Amino acid sequence: MSADSDMEYSDNDCEYDDYYNSGEDCDVERLDPKKTDPEYFEFVCLTVEEVEKLLNESVEKLNTILEITPSLAKVLLLEHQWDNQVVVDKYRKDANALLITARIKPPNPLLSIPDPLAPSTSKDAVVFGTSSSVSRSSSCSNDDSPRNALISLGICNTYNTVAPGGGIISQRCQMCPVCASSQMGDKFFSLSCGHAFCKDCWSTFFDTQIFQGISTQIGCMAPMCNVRVPEDLVLTLVTRPVMRDKYQQFAFKDYVKSHPQLRFCPGPNCQIIVRSPEVCAKRVICTSCHTSFCFKCGMDYHAPTDCVVIKKWLTKCADDSETANYISANTKDCPKCHICIEKNGGCNHMLCFNCKHDFCWMCLGDWKTHGSEYYECSRYKDNPNIANESVHVQAREALKKYLHYYERWENHSKSLQLEQQTIDRLRDRINEKVMKGRGTWIDWQYLFNAAALLAKCRYTLQYTYPYAYFMESGSRKDLFEYQQAQLEAEIENLSWKIERAETTDLGDLENQMDIAEKRRTTLLKDFFPVDF
Amino acid sequence: MSSLPRRIIKETQRLMQEPVPGINAIPDENNARYFHVIVTGPNDSPFEGGVFKLELFLPEDYPMSAPKVRFITKIYHPNIDRLGRICLDVLKDKWSPALQIRTILLSIQALLSAPNPDDPLANDVAELWKVNEAEAIKNAREWTQKYAVED
Ligand SMILES: [Zn+2]
Ligand SMILES: [Zn+2]
Ligand SMILES: [Zn+2]
Ligand SMILES: [Zn+2]
Ligand SMILES: [Zn+2]
Ligand SMILES: [Zn+2]
Repeated sequence: MSADSDMEYSDNDCEYDDYYNSGEDCDVERLDPKKTDPEYFEFVCLTVEEVEKLLNESVEKLNTILEITPSLAKVLLLEHQWDNQVVVDKYRKDANALLITARIKPPNPLLSIPDPLAPSTSKDAVVFGTSSSVSRSSSCSNDDSPRNALISLGICNTYNTVAPGGGIISQRCQMCPVCASSQMGDKFFSLSCGHAFCKDCWSTFFDTQIFQGISTQIGCMAPMCNVRVPEDLVLTLVTRPVMRDKYQQFAFKDYVKSHPQLRFCPGPNCQIIVRSPEVCAKRVICTSCHTSFCFKCGMDYHAPTDCVVIKKWLTKCADDSETANYISANTKDCPKCHICIEKNGGCNHMLCFNCKHDFCWMCLGDWKTHGSEYYECSRYKDNPNIANESVHVQAREALKKYLHYYERWENHSKSLQLEQQTIDRLRDRINEKVMKGRGTWIDWQYLFNAAALLAKCRYTLQYTYPYAYFMESGSRKDLFEYQQAQLEAEIENLSWKIERAETTDLGDLENQMDIAEKRRTTLLKDFFPVDF
Repeated sequence: MSSLPRRIIKETQRLMQEPVPGINAIPDENNARYFHVIVTGPNDSPFEGGVFKLELFLPEDYPMSAPKVRFITKIYHPNIDRLGRICLDVLKDKWSPALQIRTILLSIQALLSAPNPDDPLANDVAELWKVNEAEAIKNAREWTQKYAVED
């Protein structure tokens, strides 16, 4: 996988279209997942080296066009989301303004340091001890101009404005305001703002900053001065290999984070960086560690809910975890014979082992009313009079509403786990059958496909609940809840059939898989993503 | 303990030779990095007439990291909490190695003159400061009389 080949994301759709256009419509649709699959997403998984190469290409390109140092090019790209063209345009339009906004130059070279404590310190403008051998120029100590703060801190050099990357200040002996030692001018260094400090202090300062995880944002040591320290200066003055490595690692992180097309894989200890030309809330599955996550926000994939809403939902769930705890029980009483039933599978269509009553685990309603016509279980019925109720009735209603959605969210998440256990048991049984010569692994493969599809559908179903919770009532919500109910019904049917897989007809199961997946894609097509 | 850096020696000398009006900082006789500080309440502030004790400590990597400062005397102020901890930018993200003990203490004195309830550390105090400033100032005066005035 080379960085070059990734630059072009398949443009061959047209070829396909041309080739197949003469055929039936449905064939064309099948071949263009961009149109038919609402979750279709193109991405590549890159290694650190590949990304370094990619970033370096941008840097080299910029430093050739503008004839600037790679170090400066990096700062400018970091500040402009790695958009070469934007940087080039801004540079040609007004290089000075660009350098000021990128904090390479101070806004106003001579008056760049407002007195941090004005006016109380202005009278306090005296340098450090008087016994040192500093050769102070008289203009310095008598100066009442707003250069103030630094003079009060003991800097007594002329304010040479030097180009980024450094310059020699002067051969006079001066005092470093940080370590208070007197040294020759050539031991000093200043950025374009002119704030001079001795090289030892700069390098200690860089170590401290790097130790705190700061890299591309290291700034000048003078108070209130936010001129940035470019990479080349840091690497010139930091000599310990450990610290240099750390700096480069942190800087790399900053570069990746500022690049809109790149994301670190959130998998534990995974070094992969995912790249996609499209920044949207689609699913990425890391090819190295197989972690699945949302490309936009890096959290667990959450379609049809968008990034902002899922974050709100998860925060709410964490805040209300105690209120919600009581519903996490694994047992309920059969609504007909009241015998205690433990849920040990993922399917929410329950069959009482005692009285054979079919009921729904979520709402305890009769399963027969769930099956076909209109499935009411997933919908929360708002009290139409709520606005006229007292504050505590409203509060209770709000809690009831939240619990309705939370309970379903939590229940489907548990079902996902339970269904995995069902599959594990099934695998054991099939293993036995194969050993006894009843069919081959390939014969039974369809069952695992069915189980994988069930998990995928239930996962989406789980994430429809936060979506519904935050939705405004109205016809769009009605439509959403209708589709959600349809999906839910078909998922439970599929789960029921998989639990009884060995006695289910293959054609029947395949049909059920097809229906469930259709319901899922229909819902996603209509409601995800809304935030392109 | 390692020898005292030149920077700290210089700063201490100057603090003793040219003290800042209203501020008194004396190093502890056993620990040159620990200062006993007294700040007098600024005129025209609710802390006027008060004498506030603080402690200031210079950590090992000073001046790369900021001094640690805390009020010992109880004070009613939106940016100072019950434990005497101070919410002040120059003690945190705005710290610069070129700042000094003297500039920090001046900032603290300035904070007494101009409390900032929008960036609170003591939430109940800040809240009152915003909704009923007169009442808050009255409280601050009372606390000053009660805790910061020597009989
Ligand atoms: Zn120095
Ligand atoms: Zn500066
Ligand atoms: Zn990974
Ligand atoms: Zn997301
Ligand atoms: Zn029963
Ligand atoms: Zn139900």
